[in-house]
Amino acid sequence: MSAWARLRRNRLFWIGAGMLGSAILVATLASVIAPYDPYAQVRVTVSDIYVGPSGTHLLGTDDAGKDVLSGLIYGARVSLLVGFTAALISLFIGGVIGIIAGYRGGRTGNLLMRFTDFFLVIPDLALQIVIVAIVGQSLRNIILVIGALGWTTTARLVRAQTLTVRERKFVQRAKAIGAGDLHVLIHHVFPQVVPLMLANTVLVISLAILSESTLAFIGLGDPTVISWGQMLNFAFTRGAVSAGAWWALMPPGLAIVWVVLGTTLLGNAAEEVLNPRMTRHHLEPEAPLPPPDASTAAGPVPDTVLAIRDLRVGFEADGGELMAIDRVSFDVRPGESLGLVGESGCGKTTAMLGSLRLLPPGGHIVSGAVWHDGRDLARLDSGELRDLRWDSLSVVFQGAMNALNPVQRVGAQITEAIQLHKPETDDAAARGQARRLLELVGMSPDWADQYPHQFSGGMRQRAMIALALACNPSVVVADEPTTALDVMIQAQVMDLLVRLREEFGMALVLITHDLGVVAETCDRVVVMYGGVVAEQGTVAEVFSDPLHPYTRLLLQAFPDIDDPDRALVSIPGAPPRLDDLPTGCRFAPRCPQAFERCGQERPADYQVGDGRRVSCFLVEEMSRV
Amino acid sequence: MSRGKLLLRKFAWALVTVMVVVTFNFFLFRVLPGDPAKAGVKDPRITPQQVAALQERFGLDKPVFLNLEEGPWYDSQYFRYFGALAQGDLGTSYSFKNRTVAELLSRSIVNTVWLVLPAQLLAIMAGVALGLLAAWKRGTKIDVSALTFGLFTWSLPTFFLGIILLFVGSRYLGFPIGGRVTVGGAPLSAWSQAGDVLGHLFLPTLTFTLVLLGEYLLIMRSSVVEVFSEDYILTAKAKGLSTIEIIRRHGLRNAMLPIVTLIALNLGFTVSGAIQVETVFSWPGLGKLTVDAVSQRDYPLLQGAFLLLAVSVIAANLIAELIYLRLDPRVTEV
Repeated sequence: MSAWARLRRNRLFWIGAGMLGSAILVATLASVIAPYDPYAQVRVTVSDIYVGPSGTHLLGTDDAGKDVLSGLIYGARVSLLVGFTAALISLFIGGVIGIIAGYRGGRTGNLLMRFTDFFLVIPDLALQIVIVAIVGQSLRNIILVIGALGWTTTARLVRAQTLTVRERKFVQRAKAIGAGDLHVLIHHVFPQVVPLMLANTVLVISLAILSESTLAFIGLGDPTVISWGQMLNFAFTRGAVSAGAWWALMPPGLAIVWVVLGTTLLGNAAEEVLNPRMTRHHLEPEAPLPPPDASTAAGPVPDTVLAIRDLRVGFEADGGELMAIDRVSFDVRPGESLGLVGESGCGKTTAMLGSLRLLPPGGHIVSGAVWHDGRDLARLDSGELRDLRWDSLSVVFQGAMNALNPVQRVGAQITEAIQLHKPETDDAAARGQARRLLELVGMSPDWADQYPHQFSGGMRQRAMIALALACNPSVVVADEPTTALDVMIQAQVMDLLVRLREEFGMALVLITHDLGVVAETCDRVVVMYGGVVAEQGTVAEVFSDPLHPYTRLLLQAFPDIDDPDRALVSIPGAPPRLDDLPTGCRFAPRCPQAFERCGQERPADYQVGDGRRVSCFLVEEMSRV
Repeated sequence: MSRGKLLLRKFAWALVTVMVVVTFNFFLFRVLPGDPAKAGVKDPRITPQQVAALQERFGLDKPVFLNLEEGPWYDSQYFRYFGALAQGDLGTSYSFKNRTVAELLSRSIVNTVWLVLPAQLLAIMAGVALGLLAAWKRGTKIDVSALTFGLFTWSLPTFFLGIILLFVGSRYLGFPIGGRVTVGGAPLSAWSQAGDVLGHLFLPTLTFTLVLLGEYLLIMRSSVVEVFSEDYILTAKAKGLSTIEIIRRHGLRNAMLPIVTLIALNLGFTVSGAIQVETVFSWPGLGKLTVDAVSQRDYPLLQGAFLLLAVSVIAANLIAELIYLRLDPRVTEV
């Protein structure tokens, strides 16, 4: 959906536009709709001053006996005129400075930003007062002063935008084919920067309107024109408060609020649409836990550290719920290494994070059970679950880049986990353990006193592994632990994981795309496709004799070290979208061996031998034997 | 760049900014039309002796910037101005007879600090707490009302809010109509005097707090939502920390970073707020002094007030940057 279409659907945008639009309409039609001409000379007596609202003066009269409503209507002209023209000046200055600073960079850019910083720390209103007091209070001067001082935010924003646009391919290409700077700026950079300035433009306008009214209120307005701030200044300094003449104070003040609120809403809507921010987070209250079902009744599974049974995980979506994981079952046995494989978007991470109730906001367990140590994690009271977390179930998160707190020393993040679950550990002992853990993952223990940003990517991942081992857990889930690392470091980190698993005797669940790593390091493998398990069994069985067509194709897409000449075959198509799942077997649309039944019903999990299960009609016959 | 060096650079930059402001201040009042030094000489309020003193003090017969004619090169208006400043000499006010600008400023800045500091502290505490609550309870009624409140106070001109509170407070709730103390009446004991001042402070402080609160709340809310969706918060959750512990140990400090920046950037806004609030409530602070200087066309006073305001903001900005440096170990560039 285009930005404009999204903007059109935004309610606040229309409210804001309506508020601002009505003010513009009033300003345009002022001479037609105002009941009196506020600029006309009239004779007044004391009894005409501060007369309350009546039929002849709907909003009463002011300190000079003039009609407040008419002043209000004419005042819109000045406020909007100053607001828009001053904003135009600010946007021009800020735009030029920002674009040059961003495009040229280097010395010029630095100098311009220093210049901007300087204006940023000078108190705006104080400077406006000083200048207007010196140059004189004409409307033109006020516009120029407000315009000439209001450009700093624009310059900073435009510079930041230009910096990113400058690096884009089409700009680089235009420069490479010899386009002049001016041409590139006007034809390539400018059009990319302008749309993002909408929210800022609106902000600058509202600040200019506020500035004008403030200057007028403290007595620095143009005495020959009527503006809202001016009306407030006259009423306030000429006894409206002690006279109780609210009608001389409230209307002009509310008029300013009306216009500024309107522009602010408009700007907020534009910001929301053009620059969407995070709106959900990890600390939202958890969705209600699922009611007991057949998998709960079946009870814990012996000889496992984690037994996932008929797990279904749903996500809230516009108009309903999307089932990301649908009836997934597999075991993790004590001390084993289990590989979880499949293309991106097949639900590997969701299945594991779902089991640990660490889903992104909006995700929740719909049904099924997750047995660990005789307890069902899916229905465990949150306090008990917290006690189990990290103590016996820990996670090495994908992209350790942001998984460590940037403002806390790495050692402190490890001791925190130790002392949380083993409160009897004193500070010195916990620190000692943290240092030993870092040593264990091949780092100097002194790194405990450093912050994550001082670590390289590989070191951060090592630190994350040290953190995961802090409480000697029985299961460690490693979610693509090597994704962001270069190949050499990848191998080191994998070796480390394998070695530590043997040393600590914990079970390792390795989520990965890399079948080679699974072949080398895992005992068993679970192949997932489209939110369900396609096939599971020992690595030896599954890799040497894949039974599900998806497993077969997946293996063909990977190079084989024993048969380097074999052609690699990629699987055409992509995994199904959650909002458009096939009715029958989820792989049927891409399966070269699919037949009629595959498109109609979902295959069950067929047991083939001990612990090997395949969800495919092709093996149904076989399993019956 | 090492953090020590970084610190040094921040100080140097603040010093440079102050120098530029001083220079700017000098030229602004000298070069722009209506040359106040000369206007001052023509001012009917001033005696011929004072005119002579003024001309001597400003060195009006000397060149503006560099003395290339006779005498040392620094014998110019510009360097004389610097010399006077270095001795704390900001000149003599035109409108307050025989009062030095320095004396007037030092008296009023105390009053401004009494107004600004409590309001800032209150606004920061309330804004951080409410912003945190709104983000945590995202999408609930609490959140929606906090957002509405924030947007509304942001759109409310400070002086208008002040007028409303003054109108309601003085007419219906028995608050004084402005000023610092009640003028006239029987002499008061020390305690009731303090109470009297507090009574006068209440409405201006409330106005200031409300105006600042809205923006702090909005920024804190969006900062908290952003921080709470970071990976390290998920790590903290996976570690088994409770929500309160996560917020206290991992969320708050990270979420506070934008607030510190905002406070630094907003110091100019604080000055503007002080000018407005003091004008509405006749609070005898720096803001009101500035406005009075303008209406009296008292240029030496205006020049001094502007210089003091600008330097205070630069100093406060420096302090905020130092706090940021302390909070965020990642900062290694200016």
